[in-house]
Amino acid sequence: MTDQPRILVVDDEPQLTRVLRTGLKSRGYDVRAAADGLAGFEAFNDWHPDLVITDLAMPNVDGLELCRRLRAISQVPIIVLSAKGEEKTKVEALDLGADDFVTKPFGIDELLARVRASLRRAKAPPINEATATVLDSGDFHVDLESREITVRGKPIHLTPKEFDLLVYFIKHSGKVLTHRTLLAALWGGNYVEQNEYLRVFVGNLRKKIEPDAATPRYILTEPWIGYRFDSGQN
Amino acid sequence: MQRSRLDHKWAGYAVAALSVGVLTLLLKVVGTHVNATTVSLALLLNVLFIATRWGSVPALAASILAMLCFNFFFLPPFGTFTIAAADNWIALLAFLLTAVTAGQLSASAKKRAEEAETGRREIERLYAELRDAFGRASHAEALRQSEKLKSALLDAVTHDLRTPLTSIKASITTLLDEVRGRITGEPPVALDAESRVEMMEVIDEESDRLSRFINGLIELARIEAGELQLRRRWGVVEEIISAALTRAEPITREHRIELDVENELPGVRVDERAVSEVVYTLIDNAAKYSAKGSTIRITARRAGDESIQMGVEDEGPGIPSELRERVFDKFFRATRDGDIPHHQPTGTGMGLAIAKGIVEAHEGTIWIESGRNGKGTRVMFTLPIGDEDVVDEKQYTSATVETR
Repeated sequence: MTDQPRILVVDDEPQLTRVLRTGLKSRGYDVRAAADGLAGFEAFNDWHPDLVITDLAMPNVDGLELCRRLRAISQVPIIVLSAKGEEKTKVEALDLGADDFVTKPFGIDELLARVRASLRRAKAPPINEATATVLDSGDFHVDLESREITVRGKPIHLTPKEFDLLVYFIKHSGKVLTHRTLLAALWGGNYVEQNEYLRVFVGNLRKKIEPDAATPRYILTEPWIGYRFDSGQN
Repeated sequence: MQRSRLDHKWAGYAVAALSVGVLTLLLKVVGTHVNATTVSLALLLNVLFIATRWGSVPALAASILAMLCFNFFFLPPFGTFTIAAADNWIALLAFLLTAVTAGQLSASAKKRAEEAETGRREIERLYAELRDAFGRASHAEALRQSEKLKSALLDAVTHDLRTPLTSIKASITTLLDEVRGRITGEPPVALDAESRVEMMEVIDEESDRLSRFINGLIELARIEAGELQLRRRWGVVEEIISAALTRAEPITREHRIELDVENELPGVRVDERAVSEVVYTLIDNAAKYSAKGSTIRITARRAGDESIQMGVEDEGPGIPSELRERVFDKFFRATRDGDIPHHQPTGTGMGLAIAKGIVEAHEGTIWIESGRNGKGTRVMFTLPIGDEDVVDEKQYTSATVETR
């Protein structure tokens, strides 16, 4: 029982929590449900789940506030359930630290895939920023000291900014990164509105690392939101 | 503006010549009874007239002509242009000066009048422009408001359509996964019979919810378009309530129902099915928003000579007075939009809006007050009894049909 990953589902829609509880349980997850952000936060403190799936629009404490509160105390993976038309809130949730999102209505497969990816990422050994000298992830091997990168065994040459961007992607592999998050991380807070900067660098990086830059498989675009990096692991 | 033909300078000269000629002739015919002063004044008036009407140049011409005539016909020696006396020179000078001064005065007056006219027209134009702009702006604002409202309503509607759809999609894909897994021999998905039934139940219930929502939308649209067709006939209040209670039986099993209907209530001329729908909606709400085991009280009594008053009361948390109007707005849900905590499935946000539409179509009113001891919610509505002289033919037709 203890090796079952624990998932906390937070949604004010009882029918949906009912379905998710059954659907996720059938895949071997241990599931608890909460009807709003407040109950969700309490359940989190009480039960310490491995992953949180939360709706955005809820009475009392909404999904955004829940993300904020959870991030203040934990790095637990958060998957946000959002509807078309809630893009702004979705981006806000991701900026607040949510890891991924699923758009309603969704098939259980899609949700399960996101759940697996998020859990896998959370389980990966944390990178010790201070002492790590090498990053190994999927098709990528990075020597942080000599600043050398190989993709699928082939060395590639990157500008310093491209190198930083790729390292950031690798470190946050699988997670949805908003334009704002990437810009703030790479260029600093003054550049968070300069999406075109990012587009240029991502374009150049894709030309250098993707087998086919037109149909990228590593740096995936999340339309209107940002990018998701897939290192080719699994 | 186009100048009229008479305004033209040449017309001025013509009138000047003609009028001086006619005047001279007239004065000459009247003859010797007229003295020179009268003649000069008459001619001077004429010059003045020309000056005010056509300006100084035609007036100048008139004054010279008048002076010549005056000199020739009325000043001694008659029949010559010789001017004998010095004061006649003064008369001539007076003619000329009058002509020029009056002409100038009239010209400047005319100019000023024209300026004033132009100014007035400019102000009028500006005013019209301003009014148009203002109209456009307020129209745009109204449009913007209505667009905003529309998009808010669309948000509410899409949310209510998407929510059941999400549960259906998640259920069906869970079931589908299991079936597919069994066919392809993928890693087994542990979905026991109970879970399968649960998934199908969700699909069933959520389909019903979608269907209810769509029916509600249609009904609301009908009410809003004023197309609610009331089939009024004489009905009995007890029957209306009992029909609603029968329908509400599955949702009120865990509540106590208390009926308080006044004896010998008069019949009411209403659309029984519609009113029963109102009562059902109120009972449904009462059951939804109050604890199991609590009491739902249904009342009906006379209110004055011309109407009856019905009510449904629960022992739930009640509705704050500031929300008591808004709960009748379509898609407004106090539990979702009004910060009332809840752990219950909410309704469609249309029930009360429809109930209000039905009551108002009967010329009744509906409102919310606190229940007994200021607790719970009491929804009241009135219905006019109807004109007793009206005998509905439909009643007979349907009665004969029903007694087969």
